[in-house]
Amino acid sequence: MSTTEISEAGQHEGGGHHESPRERHKKEHMALWLFIGGDAVFFALEIFFWFYLRTLNVNGMWLGSACSKLNPCTDGLGNPITSPIAKASGIYTLAIAGLIIVSALFIWQAEIQARSGAHRKATTPLLGLAVLFCLAAIGLQIYQFQVLPFTTIDGAYASLFEFFMGSNLAHFLLVLVVATGLFNRSRIGKLEHSNWYQAHLGRLWAVWVAASATVLALIATFLA
Amino acid sequence: MTSTEVYLENTVLGPKAGGLYRHQNFATGLISGVVLGFVGWVIGQELLQGSNWGSDMTVTVTCVGWVLGFLLGMGAFNAVGRWILGRDEDHEDQLYGAGVGQGWTRYFKFCTDHKVVGIQYLVLVMTLFGAGGAMAMMIRTQLLSPHMNWLSPQSYNALVSIHGMVMIIATIIMVSGPFANFIMPIMIGAKDMAFPRLNALSFWTVVAAVPPILGSFFVGGVDSGWTTYAPLSVQSFPGQDMFAITICTFVVSVTVAGINTLVTVITMRAKGMTMGRLPIFVWGSIIAGGLGLYAMPAFLMAQSALITDRVVGTSMYAPAQGGAGWLYENCFWIMGHPEVYVILLPAAGALIEIASTFSRKPVFSYKAMVGAMLGIAGLAIMVWAHHMFTTGWAPTLANPFMLTTELISIPTGVLFLCMVGTIWRGNIWARLPMYFLYLFLWNFIIGGVTGIYLSDVPADQYFHGNMFVTAHFHFTLLGGAMIGAAGAVCYWFPKVSGRMLNERVGKWAFWLIAIGIQVTYYGQFLEGFEGMPRRVVNYNPLFQPANVMSTMGAYTLMAGWLILLYAIIHSWRNGVVAGPNPWHAKSLEWQTETPVPLENFLVDPVVTRDPYGYGEEAPDATQLTPEPVGAANVLLGNEEGVL
Repeated sequence: MSTTEISEAGQHEGGGHHESPRERHKKEHMALWLFIGGDAVFFALEIFFWFYLRTLNVNGMWLGSACSKLNPCTDGLGNPITSPIAKASGIYTLAIAGLIIVSALFIWQAEIQARSGAHRKATTPLLGLAVLFCLAAIGLQIYQFQVLPFTTIDGAYASLFEFFMGSNLAHFLLVLVVATGLFNRSRIGKLEHSNWYQAHLGRLWAVWVAASATVLALIATFLA
Repeated sequence: MTSTEVYLENTVLGPKAGGLYRHQNFATGLISGVVLGFVGWVIGQELLQGSNWGSDMTVTVTCVGWVLGFLLGMGAFNAVGRWILGRDEDHEDQLYGAGVGQGWTRYFKFCTDHKVVGIQYLVLVMTLFGAGGAMAMMIRTQLLSPHMNWLSPQSYNALVSIHGMVMIIATIIMVSGPFANFIMPIMIGAKDMAFPRLNALSFWTVVAAVPPILGSFFVGGVDSGWTTYAPLSVQSFPGQDMFAITICTFVVSVTVAGINTLVTVITMRAKGMTMGRLPIFVWGSIIAGGLGLYAMPAFLMAQSALITDRVVGTSMYAPAQGGAGWLYENCFWIMGHPEVYVILLPAAGALIEIASTFSRKPVFSYKAMVGAMLGIAGLAIMVWAHHMFTTGWAPTLANPFMLTTELISIPTGVLFLCMVGTIWRGNIWARLPMYFLYLFLWNFIIGGVTGIYLSDVPADQYFHGNMFVTAHFHFTLLGGAMIGAAGAVCYWFPKVSGRMLNERVGKWAFWLIAIGIQVTYYGQFLEGFEGMPRRVVNYNPLFQPANVMSTMGAYTLMAGWLILLYAIIHSWRNGVVAGPNPWHAKSLEWQTETPVPLENFLVDPVVTRDPYGYGEEAPDATQLTPEPVGAANVLLGNEEGVL
């Protein structure tokens, strides 16, 4: 056979894995979408857990407090008893989603600026604000853990609520890493010219995180 | 040694090339992992709620510390740090990362060369099979007699659970690890994988995942079976935490590897390598990669919720507190059934390469094969609940799941028939890889047909909890997929090692493996027909003859694998030098020289036909212009690159 001939087009710039920014963008863009796809499966399962346990309300414990010596789940005759817990305030949950949305919007705006060839003086402040809002979202998320009117052991709702918030936190930390990297690269002039695509990738991830956090916040607030 | 290798060995990089990587290797990974593991232990013990060694919080935080520390010490996060700081790699850094000038030590580093990663995977897979196989032999030895007291019930349960998961991990990576890394980029004419650092990350993440699961023996083991069903696993020993951390870490590896494989094939094919010309092995690899991306998050969800139930007291799976064990079972099998095809499809793809090469025929119905693989993947995500027929979950869904499960036998049958069609009336060259293909066909039909019984709701009620199931899935995964992997090792050994595998010793191994599989698992089918339950440490003497048969078969099987291992190691050191294309095969990996150059080809290949053009007139090699271009020029500095 052969399956091979000599390429006339395969010229390189000198060995190694040298690629044009366009080629790298294509690959990284695809990889990010695949990663988001995998993350979306995890996200869908979280929501499935929520509605499954909420619908089943096993032993009346969706909003029931935990079993303990002081609060047994049965009355001694085998009859289930529960004492309902207070739901989490929607204010914090929605505010956290709002902060991460604003952070994503700043990254998006920075991408638009970078794409249009703007100087780093235009993109750096936007990315700095994105970092700040992301930090605020993380801080508020940690604070919310402290002020919740329940703990992880207080039934299925409490368990899943805290699981959602933990999942949010993990996502936000990744946004923080990306936003910090973009901010620093913008500051030293490495986000200009053909490197705008890095901001594009950061924006895609941040928007996905903001969207998923919003969905979780809406579910946790209005469909508890 | 080729001129490229000479170039690589003699290349002197600058003193700062590689940056921090220069000081990082497996030893620093171990030290860093142990140190951060210890820090995790202190945090878990003193600051969090763990009150003594063995508590779930302490064990979990220790394991997380180990995994992060090991990866940190290996250099897995260097690139992220450099990116944030804006210190991008230059060309010398890339060459250092690819192992240039480092000799054998590059196999112990965070090396980005896909061929190094492939060999690293191969060694890891054999090590895991060694560990899992040793556990299997202990299990079979215990079952030699009805009342053997060699193992305690707790140890036996732990062995069964950990044997199962170690083998699942090993089988998931056994083909996609070594060969989708070493061979696949060459097959499509690429210079490397799309993301070389992610490639190294996927390998070293598996390495980080292994110690926790093996270490779980020291904190009580795992007594909930390899499926670790909740709520039993919520109450299990702290070893269960280590098991779950292993799975979560492994999921990261498979996800990263799947993304890398897909992006590589979609974006880095050589000119002329259309999707319709992709070798079937490549199709198997990308479909498995895509399926893994769908399946593995479900495994992550199942295990991370298990960890939170055990460590911080959530109640996802505990019915007394509002949870439901069925959630775990659903998540597990949403992963579990597609995972069978994640294992099987690359192995089947490798066997189809073997079938075509050694029959000197084009593959039979290329489009039907690809369609069958896609059909299998599509149906694989719709069959999971057949594993739960006996649990009582959603009885009204039993019939639909029975239907979808039986439907999957159609594309599987098409794939099987295409394999047979490929070798049908071929000019068979009966070399060792071909032997393994024949064995696969035999074993897989037994594994497949017995699977149909298990997809049937009434029959499954009887068979589900007994040894019939064990025999079925071992015939499928060991007799099918693992034999496919053995065939792939024999087939690509000359390209990977540069030497021929000793076929005389290899055939001895083959026959022992072939006989061992039949005896071991026919014995287990007999146990199942007689009604012997799975996962029991002692059993009714009625079942002893079948158990003795199975154990004798297992020893034969072990002997076969050990001899094959000997053949591999001995041939790697002393085998006859293979040359670039000892099988006279047509696909791209055989057109480049052996050992394979750093960027795989001395000239950029352009593909003009499909890779199975046996019987067609081969173009005269002199039509090719012997003029290396691009990177090859830089690496060689001469004009000797002739394909």
